[in-house]
Amino acid sequence: MKIDRLLWTGASLLFFAALIWFWQFVSDNRWVSPVFLPGPDRAWNAMMRGLQTGDLGLRWIATIERMIYGWLLASLAGIFLGAVIGSSEMARAYIGPSLELMRPLPASAVVPLAIALLGLSESMVLGVIAFGALWPMLLATVHGFSAVEPRLYEVSRALGLSRSAVIFKISLPSSMPDILAGMRLSLTVALILAVVGEMLASREGLGSHIMLAARAFRSADLFAGVILLGVTGLVSALLLGWFESWMLRWRESR
Amino acid sequence: MLEKQHAGSPVLHIDRVNLTLGGHEILRDINLSIREGEFVCVVGPSGCGKTTMLRLLAGLYQPTSGDVTYRSTRMTHPRQDIAIVFQDYGKALLPWRTAHGNVSLAFEALNAPREGRDDKIEQLLAKVGLGGQGKKYPNQLSGGMQQRLQIARCLAQTPSVLLMDEPFGALDAMTRQGLQDEILSIVRGTGATAFFVTHDLEEAIYLGDRVIGLLPHPGRVAIEVEVNLPRDRNQLTTREDPEFLRLRRQLFDFIKEAES
Ligand SMILES: Nc1ncnc2c1ncn2[C@@H]1O[C@H](COP(=O)(O)OP(=O)(O)OP(=O)(O)O)[C@@H](O)[C@H]1O
Ligand SMILES: [Mg+2]
Repeated sequence: MKIDRLLWTGASLLFFAALIWFWQFVSDNRWVSPVFLPGPDRAWNAMMRGLQTGDLGLRWIATIERMIYGWLLASLAGIFLGAVIGSSEMARAYIGPSLELMRPLPASAVVPLAIALLGLSESMVLGVIAFGALWPMLLATVHGFSAVEPRLYEVSRALGLSRSAVIFKISLPSSMPDILAGMRLSLTVALILAVVGEMLASREGLGSHIMLAARAFRSADLFAGVILLGVTGLVSALLLGWFESWMLRWRESR
Repeated sequence: MLEKQHAGSPVLHIDRVNLTLGGHEILRDINLSIREGEFVCVVGPSGCGKTTMLRLLAGLYQPTSGDVTYRSTRMTHPRQDIAIVFQDYGKALLPWRTAHGNVSLAFEALNAPREGRDDKIEQLLAKVGLGGQGKKYPNQLSGGMQQRLQIARCLAQTPSVLLMDEPFGALDAMTRQGLQDEILSIVRGTGATAFFVTHDLEEAIYLGDRVIGLLPHPGRVAIEVEVNLPRDRNQLTTREDPEFLRLRRQLFDFIKEAES
């Protein structure tokens, strides 16, 4: 079991190294013009330089902050609305169809509306992130709440649990696997939308950094930004994964 | 103990009850009085309405006509002093809570003082043979242990009535016999009144002071026998008692007739 995992980790690291090597190989042989594709060495140097001297670090933090605030906003709203809709059959019947109608709307489709309402402001960016990240949260929570074992509601009635106790002690923990899966999905969406929002509203952040670098043909800077985005996505997914397996430790314990 | 079972007014009373669910007549003209401390078992072919009857007594269903009363008050909703042991213990336990946490839920519902709660939970777990297993999650326990855990949670309600719906139906014979004796000693020890649904005729006679047989389409009480066996039951001697064998024959014939 343990050796198995070690092998898998080793294999994926090896694959990653091969990818970097291939990238270096392509750029060294100038298969793609260096104007568009810097080698990993140049991208790395640009990133280190940006982090040490420029404001790349500040931009990175700004993007992370936006992602997290938008995501938390979406999570809170999604869990609350999802709980309300999911725990009432009637609400599901009435609201469900409109949810299905709005769900496939890409968050970028509401960007013009958000700009009209909020201008090219910080709250517009946050609003777009929260709106886009809301859907996976909302749908996962609705699903979780509607899939609670009915027997547990009977147990609650027989024990005489209060209404709020049923929500916090039965429905919410029972929906936790779905909610956490939704949070993982919406975190990815939040990162993407943070970058898109920054590009559109030209707020300080990795998104605008990448766009400005692209316009000025500073491909090394562009790649430095992309690398940091990748790192952000990876680290946040890892952290959330740990949190998830800790929260759901009752599942694995066998 | 022996005298007590026949004394007093009924704890649970079903009076001329009819029940229709989704346009189907499920139960017709049910009458039943359960005395304080009595152990009543219900048998009958599958689909005859045993579970439905238990749910009426639990206050989970309301009769279409007639009355279900608990100590002379109408059962309009479930009560904390009436505990239910469900057959599907796997679904009735909270998988995200430890054994300790599952029992704790009953105390939380009662708003019992926090102080000393842990000790009480540990005592209850020990009482059902789960001493020292409090930190385990339900999926780490065997079927028999999970059912014991559910019983412990019911006991935390200090119920005066225990309603049990085929609680040992999914367990193997050895575990079953052990649990039968445990439930008997718990019920006798607390003076609780018990209503016990089972498929197993011998189990019904072994546990019961009275056995009721239902017939289906619509569900109705078709036979009622008093079990005149000494109240101290023993897996070997009770099951060999001529009275036990006579009752078993009587109920067996009833079921066979019902199925033909
Ligand atoms: N909510 C309901 N709506 C309609 N019909 C129901 C409902 N609940 C039960 N029934 C029907 O009532 C009859 C009695 O069901 P019940 O579950 O009480 O039987 P049972 O004696 O407990 O059977 P088993 O031994 O299989 O558990 C069955 O025919 C069942 O289909
Ligand atoms: Mg049944």
